[in-house]
Amino acid sequence: MTATIPGRRHASEDDPRVILEEQVGVFEPVPPFPPRTEREAEFYTLGDGEMFLNMGPQHPSTHGVLRVVLKINGEVVTDLDPVLGYLHRGVEKLCENADYHQAICYLDPLEYVSSLFCEWPAVMAFEKLLDVEVPRRAEYIRVLSGELLRVASHALFMGWMALDLGGLTPILWSFIERDEIVEMLGSLTGARMLFNYYRIGGVNGDLNHEFMSRLGDWMTRATEQHEANVRLLNENEIFVRRMRGLGQVDRETALRMCMTGPNLRAAGVPFDVRRSHPYSVYPELDFDIPTRDEGDCLARYLLRLDEVKQSLRIIDQCLHQMPDGPVIAKLPRLLRPRPGRSYAAVESPRGQYAIYGISDGTDQPFRMRIHDPSFVHLQSVGLLMPGHLIADTMAVMASLDPIMGGVDK
Amino acid sequence: MDRALRRRIEARFGEVLTGPVRQRHDETELRLAPGDVTTVMRALHDEPDLRFRFLADLCGVDTGLVMQVVYHLWSDSTPDWLRVIADGLPRDDPRVPSVTFLWKGAEWMEREAYDMFGITFEGNRDLRRIYMPPDYTSFPLRKDFYLADDAARSPGAGVRHMERTHAPRNATKTSLLRHAKGA
Repeated sequence: MTATIPGRRHASEDDPRVILEEQVGVFEPVPPFPPRTEREAEFYTLGDGEMFLNMGPQHPSTHGVLRVVLKINGEVVTDLDPVLGYLHRGVEKLCENADYHQAICYLDPLEYVSSLFCEWPAVMAFEKLLDVEVPRRAEYIRVLSGELLRVASHALFMGWMALDLGGLTPILWSFIERDEIVEMLGSLTGARMLFNYYRIGGVNGDLNHEFMSRLGDWMTRATEQHEANVRLLNENEIFVRRMRGLGQVDRETALRMCMTGPNLRAAGVPFDVRRSHPYSVYPELDFDIPTRDEGDCLARYLLRLDEVKQSLRIIDQCLHQMPDGPVIAKLPRLLRPRPGRSYAAVESPRGQYAIYGISDGTDQPFRMRIHDPSFVHLQSVGLLMPGHLIADTMAVMASLDPIMGGVDK
Repeated sequence: MDRALRRRIEARFGEVLTGPVRQRHDETELRLAPGDVTTVMRALHDEPDLRFRFLADLCGVDTGLVMQVVYHLWSDSTPDWLRVIADGLPRDDPRVPSVTFLWKGAEWMEREAYDMFGITFEGNRDLRRIYMPPDYTSFPLRKDFYLADDAARSPGAGVRHMERTHAPRNATKTSLLRHAKGA
C-alpha cells in the first residue's frame, strides 16, 4: 500500500536537489500533524467509546479512489471525513494551457461513465463566448447521444447500487445494457468511453448507418429490457427494506447542501436544468420531470429508474423530429473569442454539470471552472451518514452516485 | 436577457455595486466588494421577489491583478443565471466572507477555492486543503504558478503549436536551428 499521508522528507545523498520522501507503510487514520481547522479538531477528537476506521482509498465500494475516515461507536457511524485528491489531475490548469478545441478532450475523463455530459457544457460555454449558432441537427444529435448515455449511466448506477449492497447479478445485467449503448455510441463517435464527440459549433460527424441500425434494433427492446432489469431489484424485499428510510434528506437540507439532479428531485424539488433553465432543443421535446418526496436511498434509486423511461421518450422523439442539415457550424480552426465570461450548465445523469469559462481574447481559455455534481454530492455523505451502520455507508454513497474522476478533477 | 431582473437589482443593490450590471446571453452579472457579500447574498436568498435559493457554483478566479470569488445563482423568478462577482480581493491576502451560513454545500467549493487560489473564506469551519496534500505550500491555479512539465523545457516552449510558422515536415534548416537554440 502506498503512503498517502506524507512521510518525512530529506535531501538525497547522491543529488541534494532531489528530495526523497520516507515511506509511511501503515495507514494511520489520524493525520500526523495538529488539526488545521475547527472542524478537523472536532472530528479527530474521540468521544467516549468511539474509534476511527479508515476506509479506502482502495476500497471497492468507494467508486474510485476515495478515502473516508469513519468515526464509529460500536457499529454506528457517528461522523465521517472524506479525504479527496487521490485522483486529482489539475484539469482546470491543463485547460488553461490548451486551446479551446484541446480543452474539450481534457474533460472527457472527468465523468468517465457519462463523458458526453462533460463536453457538453464546455462546448456550450465556448459557443456562448463566440456567439456561434449551432445547427439544429447538431443539437438533436447531441440530445440523442446524451440521452442514450444517460440510460447507460443509470443502468450502471443500478448495478453498482446492488453490488455495494452485496448483490452480484444486477451489475452483470446492467453492463450488458450499458455495453450495447456504448458500442452503439462507439460506432457513432469512434470511441467507446471517452468520446470527444461534441465540437464547438456542433458535433464531429453525422449519424451513420451502423449507429442507426444498432439504435433501431435496441429501441425495439429497450423498454422490455429496462423492465426486466427493474424487476431484478424492485421486487427484492431485502433490497427495498434496507434502502427505505436510509440516508434521508429533506427538501430544505438538499437545497442547502447544493444538491442537484436526481438526488435533489428525490427530495421533492423539481429542479432539472433541462426544464428550469432550458438549453439545446429540450424546450421542443415532451418529457416529464419525475420527483419523489421521501428523499431516502430508495427514492433516489427509483427516481433514476423513472428517468430512464423519460430518456427513452426523448430518444424516440429525437428520432422522429431529427431535421436535415449540417452538423457543425463553420468556424476557424484557431478560435479567439472576445474577452468575456460565460456560464453553461447541462443536466448530467448526476446533476447539474456546469462550466464557467473566461476568455481574455487569446486562443486559450483564461480560466475554466468545472462544476461537478459528484463533488457537491459527496460532501453530503457526511450529513446523511451519522446514526447509520458502517455497512450502510456504501449504500448511501452509492445512492448519491458520485464518480471519483469528477470529484477529484 | 432579463431586463426586469437588471432593473430590480439596480434598484435594490444600487449603492453597493462596484460596476454596472452586465447582461449577455442568459447571464446577468453584478460586481461588489468582498465586504458586501454577506448582506447581498442573504438578500438575494431570502427576499421574496428574488428567491435565489440555489447556489449553482462557487469558484475563485485569479485575474493576474486581483482575486475574485464568483457565485452563480439560480432562481425560479428569472430565466437568467445570476453571477455575483466579489471583486478586488488583494492577491497577497485574499479574504472574503463565507456563504456557508446560507448554503452548507458551499463548504467544499470554498475549500477548493482555498486550495487552488489561497482565498480565505472567513466563517468556513473547515477551510483546509481538499485536493493537494496537507504539506503543499503553493496555490496551483494562480496565474503565477507555471506548469513545470516537459514542454516548458522543450525547444517549442512558449510557442503555441497552432501559431508555428511551419508545419514540422516543411520546417527549413533555419527554423530547426532556431528551435534548437531555444530562441
